[in-house]
Amino acid sequence: MAWITKPSATEKIERRGEAYLTDAMRTSITDDFIPRFETTMACILPALHMIQHEYGWIPKQAMEEIARHLEVAPADVFDTATFYEEYWLKPKGKCLISVCRSIACEVCGQQEITDAVREKLGIEVSETTDDGKFTLVELECLGACGGAPAILVGETLHEKVTPEQVVEIIDRVEREIDAGGGH
Amino acid sequence: MPKAKYENSLDRHYLLKNIPTPPFGDVKARHIVSYDEYVGNGGYQGLRKTLTMTPNEIIGEVKQSSLRGRGGAGFPAGVKWSFLPPIKLADGTEVGDEHAGKDVPVEGRYLAVNADESEPGTFKDRLLMECDPHALLEGIAICCYACRLSKAYIFIRGEYHHQAHVLEKALKEAYEQGIFGDKGIIGSGENTAGPRFRVDCYVHRGAGAYICGEETGLLEAIEGKRGWPRTKPPFPAIKGLFGKPTIINNVETLCHIPDIINHGAAWFCELGVESSVGGPPSFGTKLMGVSGHVERPGVYECELGIPLRTLVDEFCGGMRNGKKFKGAIAGGVSMGVLGPDQFDAELDFDIGRKYNVLGLGTACPTVFDEDTDMVAVCRNISRFFKHESCGQCTPCREGSGWLYQLLCKIESGDGRTKDLDLALEIATSMGTMPGTTICGLADGNNWATRTIMSKYREEFEARVKPTYVPVAMTVGASAKG
Ligand SMILES: Cc1cc2nc3c(=O)[nH]c(=O)nc-3n(C[C@H](O)[C@H](O)[C@H](O)COP(=O)(O)O)c2cc1C
Ligand code: SF4
Ligand code: FES
Repeated sequence: MAWITKPSATEKIERRGEAYLTDAMRTSITDDFIPRFETTMACILPALHMIQHEYGWIPKQAMEEIARHLEVAPADVFDTATFYEEYWLKPKGKCLISVCRSIACEVCGQQEITDAVREKLGIEVSETTDDGKFTLVELECLGACGGAPAILVGETLHEKVTPEQVVEIIDRVEREIDAGGGH
Repeated sequence: MPKAKYENSLDRHYLLKNIPTPPFGDVKARHIVSYDEYVGNGGYQGLRKTLTMTPNEIIGEVKQSSLRGRGGAGFPAGVKWSFLPPIKLADGTEVGDEHAGKDVPVEGRYLAVNADESEPGTFKDRLLMECDPHALLEGIAICCYACRLSKAYIFIRGEYHHQAHVLEKALKEAYEQGIFGDKGIIGSGENTAGPRFRVDCYVHRGAGAYICGEETGLLEAIEGKRGWPRTKPPFPAIKGLFGKPTIINNVETLCHIPDIINHGAAWFCELGVESSVGGPPSFGTKLMGVSGHVERPGVYECELGIPLRTLVDEFCGGMRNGKKFKGAIAGGVSMGVLGPDQFDAELDFDIGRKYNVLGLGTACPTVFDEDTDMVAVCRNISRFFKHESCGQCTPCREGSGWLYQLLCKIESGDGRTKDLDLALEIATSMGTMPGTTICGLADGNNWATRTIMSKYREEFEARVKPTYVPVAMTVGASAKG
C-alpha cells in the first residue's frame, strides 16, 4: 500500500450544497448500525459502503459528513477510507471490471483476459475509458479459484471466462448502460 | 475407532450434505437452501440438542472431537473456547453450569466469524455461505450459547457481494424463526426450564484487504479502523473486539459444530486420521478446494489425510490434458509448495512436519503441471504479499517490496546468481525471527518464497547469469565484480 503525501494544508475540498449523506442513509445508520456496536466508529465501514454504492466513489465532503454524523474525527474516517482498496476516493467508471491476477488465475490464462479487456476498451489497467463507462483493475484472489480465470464485472462474478466471452460481456454491459440501467 | 492411515470411509457428505457435489451429487443441482428446507433435512436439531446441555458439556464435546480450526492455523476450537474468562455476577460469584437455565445477563462478549477468505487458492467458505447459509448460522448460535456470547459479527470480504446478500436473507429468516433476536434462541427457551438467551448476529462487510483475515486485523476492521493486526498477547479471548472477550472462528469450523453435537465427538473422531508423527490428530472431514491444472477443479469434501494424488485422480479427474504433475501450493499461498516428488503428500495437519511446508493452511491446493514456469509463480506470489503487507512492520513492508523487485529481475533474465542468494536471504529473514513482525503474513511470504526457490532451484539458476567471482588477482588486470 502506497503512502502518498501531499501538502494537505493547501488542499481544497470540492464541495456541493446538497449533502451526500441523504436523510435515508442517516436514518439507516442511526437505527440499524449504531445499535450494533459499542462504538460509533465501527459504523465507518458500513457508512462508506453506502456512499460508494450510491455515488460510485467517496467524495471528501461525504467523509466529513460521515464523521459529523458518527461524532468521530474526520481524520478517522479518512484514515479508514484510505486503507481499504475497495473504496474509490476518485470517481471511477460506471462499471468496474476487476480481473483476478492471483496464482490460480495467472496459471490458467489471466493475462489473456486482461489483454482482451485492454484491447476492447483501449485502456490500461487502473484506467477509465474516456466516456466514463468502464474502469479496469486487477485484484488479488477473488475466492473463485476453481473457476479460474475469474473476473468481477460490477458485482457479478464470471468464472472460466475466455477472451471472447469477455468481449461479449462488455458489449452487453455497454448496451445496459446506454439503455440507462446503472450497473 | 480412529484410523491411523487414510482409507476412504465417507459414504455421504456432512458439510456439503445440502450442497450437491460429486461423488454424491451433481453440481448443477445446487441452489440456496432456505430455512424450511434446512429444517426439513434435520437442520437446527443440533441447536435444539445443545439447549438441553450445559455450556461446559458442549465445550467438552467439541474439545473431545479435536476439531481443529479450518481457517489456517489449525488451533483446536474447543480449547480456544475454554480460554474465555468466566462471567462474574454482581455479587462476585462466577457463572458455572449450575446457572445453565437461569437468567444470566451477558453483555460485551463477542463472536467474530472469519469469512474474509482471501488467501489465493482458497474458495471453500464461499460455497458454504452461498448455498447453505443456515448451517453457518446454526454453528454460530451453538457457539454463542456454549460460550455465552452476546453478539456475533460475520465479517465477510467485500468482493463476496452475492454471498453477503444470501447471508442477510438467511439471517432475516433466522430472526423470524426465533434463532436470534428478542425471541431468544429457538423461541423463548421452550426446550429449557430457564428463560431465553438472546444472541444477535450481523453481517459486516469488509472492503478489500487480505490482512483483515488475520484475526486481530479482522477485529480492527470491525471496529472501523484500518485492519492493522495487534500484537499478542493479550489474546482476543481475553481482550478482543472493543477490548472485550472475543472468539474468532472460521466459517468452516463453525459449520462442523452442529454435526458434532448431533452425532457426538466419537463419530467425528472416526473420520480423518491420527497423527503419524505423534502430534495432535486430524479428525473429521475437510473441504478441499482444488484449482489449477486439473480436469475438474472445485470444492470437494474429503476425510483429512487424503493423499494429494488420490484427491487429484479420484475427485478432480486427474491432471488436465494428462500432463505430468510438477508441484502444488499446499493450502493457500502462505503455506509454500509441495515439490514434484511430493504428489503423495497426505493432506492432514502433519503435512508441515513431513513435507517441508508451513502447514495445511486452508487445504485448498493449487496444482501445477509440467509446463508451469515456477519463477513466474514465485514472482506472482511475492507480488501478492508485497501488495497485501499492511505496512506496520519494517521487515515485512520493506522486505516484501525488495523481494518482488528481485524476482521480477530474475524472471526477466537480468538477474545474477548472487540475486538468488539475496532473495533467499531476504525471504528467510522475514518472519523467521520470532517477534520481528506482528502477524503471520511475513511468515507466509518467507515460506512461499523459500520453498519454491529451494524445491525448484535449477529452474531459477537457469534463468540467471553467473556472478563473476574474482578468483585471483592478476597484476595489471582488473577483476570483474
Ligand atoms: C495474514 C493472515 C491471513 C489470514 N486470513 C484468513 C482468512 O482469510 N480466513 C480465515 O478464516 N482465517 C484467516 N487467517 C487465520 C486467522 O488468523 C485465524 O487463525 C482463524 O480465523 C481462526 O479461526 P479457526 O480457528 O476457526 O481456524 C489468516 C491469518 C493470517 C496470519
Ligand atoms: S507482518 Fe506484515 S502484514 Fe503483518 S502486521 Fe506486520 S507489516 Fe502488517
Ligand atoms: S486466484 Fe483468481 S480467484 Fe483465486
